[in-house]
Amino acid sequence: MGTVFSSLQVAPGFITLAGKSISFWGYTYAYHPRPRPQLPGPIIQATAGDFLRITLVVRPNAPFAEDLSIIFPGQEGVEVRHVPAPQFRPAQPQYANGKMVSLTDYLAAGKIGAIEYRFRALRPGAYLYESGTNSAKQVQMGLYGVIVVRPVGYHQPGHPNFRTAYGQNTASRHDIEKILVLGEIDSAMHKSVVPGAEYNLLDFRPDHWVINGRTFPASIAPDDNSSQPYGSAIRCRLGQRVLLRILNAGFQAHTLALGALTGRVIAEDAYPLKIGSSDATYEKTAVTVGPGQSLDLLVTPPYPGEFYIYDREYRHLVNDNQFPGGMMTKITVTP
Amino acid sequence: MPTVELWAKDGYLSIPDGNSIYFWGFARSREGKAQLPGPVIIARQGEPLTVRLVNLLPEPVSLSFPGHIGVTVDGSPARPQYEDGKLVSFTNHALPGESVSYTLVPTSPGTFLYESGSSPPKQVPLGLYGALVVRPADYNPEIEEYKTAYGYGTDTAFDREYLLITGEIDPEFHQAAAEGRPYELSRYKPRYWTLNGRSAPDTMLPDNAAHLPHQPYGAMIMARPGEKVLLRYIGAGTAHHPLHPHGNHTRVLALDGRLLRNGAFDRSYERFTVLVGAGQTYDQIYQWFGLGYSPENPIPTGLPNLRNLGIGDAGWTMWSGSPYLGLKGDIPKGVVSFNEEGEYYFMLHSHQEFQITNWGEFPGGLMTMIAVYPHLSPDIGVLK
Repeated sequence: MGTVFSSLQVAPGFITLAGKSISFWGYTYAYHPRPRPQLPGPIIQATAGDFLRITLVVRPNAPFAEDLSIIFPGQEGVEVRHVPAPQFRPAQPQYANGKMVSLTDYLAAGKIGAIEYRFRALRPGAYLYESGTNSAKQVQMGLYGVIVVRPVGYHQPGHPNFRTAYGQNTASRHDIEKILVLGEIDSAMHKSVVPGAEYNLLDFRPDHWVINGRTFPASIAPDDNSSQPYGSAIRCRLGQRVLLRILNAGFQAHTLALGALTGRVIAEDAYPLKIGSSDATYEKTAVTVGPGQSLDLLVTPPYPGEFYIYDREYRHLVNDNQFPGGMMTKITVTP
Repeated sequence: MPTVELWAKDGYLSIPDGNSIYFWGFARSREGKAQLPGPVIIARQGEPLTVRLVNLLPEPVSLSFPGHIGVTVDGSPARPQYEDGKLVSFTNHALPGESVSYTLVPTSPGTFLYESGSSPPKQVPLGLYGALVVRPADYNPEIEEYKTAYGYGTDTAFDREYLLITGEIDPEFHQAAAEGRPYELSRYKPRYWTLNGRSAPDTMLPDNAAHLPHQPYGAMIMARPGEKVLLRYIGAGTAHHPLHPHGNHTRVLALDGRLLRNGAFDRSYERFTVLVGAGQTYDQIYQWFGLGYSPENPIPTGLPNLRNLGIGDAGWTMWSGSPYLGLKGDIPKGVVSFNEEGEYYFMLHSHQEFQITNWGEFPGGLMTMIAVYPHLSPDIGVLK
């Protein structure tokens, strides 16, 4: 068991959706000479039992006019310290004049400095991390990412936990893994939001639906080093087991449909459904994932071909009212 | 090999508030009327099924069969269709005036949806969807143990079965389609909600009601006390609907046509309300026993709550006037009873209450009744 250090910072930037450039706020690794915010934020990898120490940094060359923080839904015992204070204490909601201002300890707006969160990642699974401050605005603006916690032995061939999501005997062994983070974007809101200014969330009306921050067909382009670095295309060979790790970082429930394929739900909210001889996994052709929830789906395509995976709320499959677009990707199966 | 014909064409739906809605649907023949939902297709596990689609609409139309692998067209696997590199259909389509035949061998029994796989943001909400019911390989309605949803020994036997297919209608969206105008999907706002293509109270009318030529399927649930009623819910629209029967809970047996059972482990569960998700299916058993009901003592409760019995304006009721099943009693002067033979009525409705209206007017939308009869013909509650 080790310690995983990550330093993140927040920066405004631009993403491209259906050919349009849209402003957003993203997490990025701190101290990079040319920090590039990204959507979703950097994927943080750990092994069950690891200590995670995640520092949110605001640097002198990039002050931010809003309070900033990170919450870790599904993690227990999160502690926090304001750097350089040596003492950690339990992270907790913050109040000003009796009114809650943040779901957790935060860095005050405009302040240069750092806040460090730490916790032991006890359970394997894929989890969201996201802003706990002005969340309705900041999460929509892009401040979310994923932490993947592997079981011990995940990378060791021959280990009983090798390439399993939750360890041996949890029906989670797979050959290919793909993280699919769902979300929706209101481009009018993104245009009008500036740090520190009020935004009326009653006006929230998303017009782009994204997987890993991209709309179709950009969603099936390869990973790159842009502000939308993660592709969603899945490639496998016949017979391979594909684990889809679906996390909904948006504010709306989304229904991912597999078309002809049927998968097996092996975990919900990072709780495996099969433990020892008690097998509560179940098969589904479409899964509805609520905001903030996650689900792991194991699919073994039965023959070569292209299989689209799409939001069954069909009007989310458009860019500017035109099909195809939006929340869609595909699995390509080769012999 | 059974062959089913589906003719994609247009028509008009009737809404109980008097509105008439343009839609696209499937008909059984060139002369047949487009219907919502499309014709129910009944297939058998392991037996090839061929569906021939003829497209009389002005753009490419296709059929996708979610949850079914191995669909072939002219002997080759069905595949996505592109035009200039741009995706047009999730599967092989028929151009206007042309046809395409799909062949599949259902591997799993259960309840499934079929729907258009071409421009689905437009075509599916416009009405190009229907139900595919797959009987287990050993299905035999003459023998109790083999009249099941998922096969002998799966604890899915039933006495009667009903399909309940949910949908939504945004009149502006349909009107735009009628006029061939583009529609800004971000403005999409349903005003009508349908069960088997009808809005309440039309849901309670019989199948093939003469004045609903494009909406042939009723949604009235009828059974006798204690009978196992198989409810097959399908979410054919793009929204989720919390459906909720009065009178008893349901036991959810299967999702998306897959039995909730892992070896000896029975994963079925009881629910008060089932959230019918877009594109998903739910097979359930509903049984009405009543409180202390028995044939010797047919009184289930005290005086029934009128809220469960009456629907519509004061002045008419579905109550029999008697708390005894099968008996009629006195009705207050001036009140008309639509009760036929002392049956009980329980509502089945969406718990998202604005969906039990027609454009805001209660009663309407996603609502129907469950009627418990003292006697009932075996021909009722049979899918054909």
